[in-house]
Amino acid sequence: MKPLNLIALLLFLGGAVWALTRSERTVREIQNAYYEAISPFLKSGSQLENKARLFTKETRNSKQLEADLEATRDQLGRLKLIESRFRELEYENVQLRHALDFKKATRFDVVAARVIRRNPTTWWQTVEIDAGSDRGIGTQLAVLSNEGLVGKIDRVDNSGDRASVLLLTDEKCQVSARVEGSPEVGILSGQRGGFDGDPMLRLRFLSANAAVRPGQRVLTTGRGGIFQPNILLGTIHSVEKGALDSEALVRPSVNFADLGAVFVVLSADS
Amino acid sequence: MIRYSFITILLLLAAFVVQQFLPAFTGLHDSRILLVQLVFLCCAVTVGQPTMLLLAFIGGFFWDAQCALGPHGGDPEVYTQQVENLRFGYSILLFGGMGVLMQGIQPLFKQGKWHFSALLSGIAVLLYLAAEYTIINFIRGEFALNQATMRQMSWTAFLTMLFSPLVFWMLFRIAKLCDHSINPEAGRKRRRPR
Repeated sequence: MKPLNLIALLLFLGGAVWALTRSERTVREIQNAYYEAISPFLKSGSQLENKARLFTKETRNSKQLEADLEATRDQLGRLKLIESRFRELEYENVQLRHALDFKKATRFDVVAARVIRRNPTTWWQTVEIDAGSDRGIGTQLAVLSNEGLVGKIDRVDNSGDRASVLLLTDEKCQVSARVEGSPEVGILSGQRGGFDGDPMLRLRFLSANAAVRPGQRVLTTGRGGIFQPNILLGTIHSVEKGALDSEALVRPSVNFADLGAVFVVLSADS
Repeated sequence: MIRYSFITILLLLAAFVVQQFLPAFTGLHDSRILLVQLVFLCCAVTVGQPTMLLLAFIGGFFWDAQCALGPHGGDPEVYTQQVENLRFGYSILLFGGMGVLMQGIQPLFKQGKWHFSALLSGIAVLLYLAAEYTIINFIRGEFALNQATMRQMSWTAFLTMLFSPLVFWMLFRIAKLCDHSINPEAGRKRRRPR
């Protein structure tokens, strides 16, 4: 081996050992510095993405309009376009009303946020939201949608306007859960690379003769200090009984493939 | 040579930014194009060992900075079996391993047979994902491998490999701009009089 290659190899190994021995706090600092460095690109990229989306939407609309114009007169086509615009606004109005009702209905002080990006990893399940420390968001706060629990805040950007959410489908996001209508409690989590298509959650540490059946709802217990009680997690899909304990597969109540508006719980009223 | 090496580092850093905007293909088992790994693999076969190791360090370091998760939090009396994090920096070693694999067929690449390198980049990505998944299972303390995961890994490797000719084309263009030959033997063959 050439001396230069040997020196490079030793330096590489030294660097790897240095990185492997960093503390959790240092890793967080490195991570924050990394995201701070790329945040200008992420922001301008997001803006471009929105513009592109708007452009394709407009193109689609104009194509529709063209098809209408071929079949009807000019005046009718224009009226149809106006009508479709009204429908869009009506739909948006319904969505916003729905979100507002949800905010009123919850017993928590919540901050509404929008999912802006899925993090590009194969095994880790995280998404980025457009709200951060500027709006009082910190780590380890529960994140909900109007369907149930989405996950918890894993990281808050130094910029103050973004945060990363660890989804319930990741096995690192563990939740103390109970089965409605039974005394059974356990720990619910996802599994990396575990399921195809619809993600499933594993409810572990149930008693050996757990009297649970498919269709029963699974809710948070409120124990453990992160998640408030009685948040819907999902429904029992199947139960596997073991010699010492049982395990249930739970279908999550939230559609993780279509996450739009989410709500970060800042504090509980009670 | 130095200019070319410097540009490959910039290219790898640019890949990190572009990677942020590459979505997963939900119809193909949530597979995705791993652009960072692909750019690293293609660069690794065109540079010397010291530069490859530098690229592996940068690639692995930033990849882990991007993916690292925070501590579990919560009451340890309730969450008694918390999932351990993968150590920050493990990707540096995985990138290094992939780089060594790519450099193994550098003689073929230097002869102008870049197709083999393109094919190997797909295999290297598959091995990378398999190694990462094995580490996850090892830390979890329970090995589970199903067809869905295998399909996800295979599709990811395949889709990533499809883009390797594009990255090689970029590298050839960059090398030309830098007056540097990344496959000198092929160039000599072309120049040899018949």
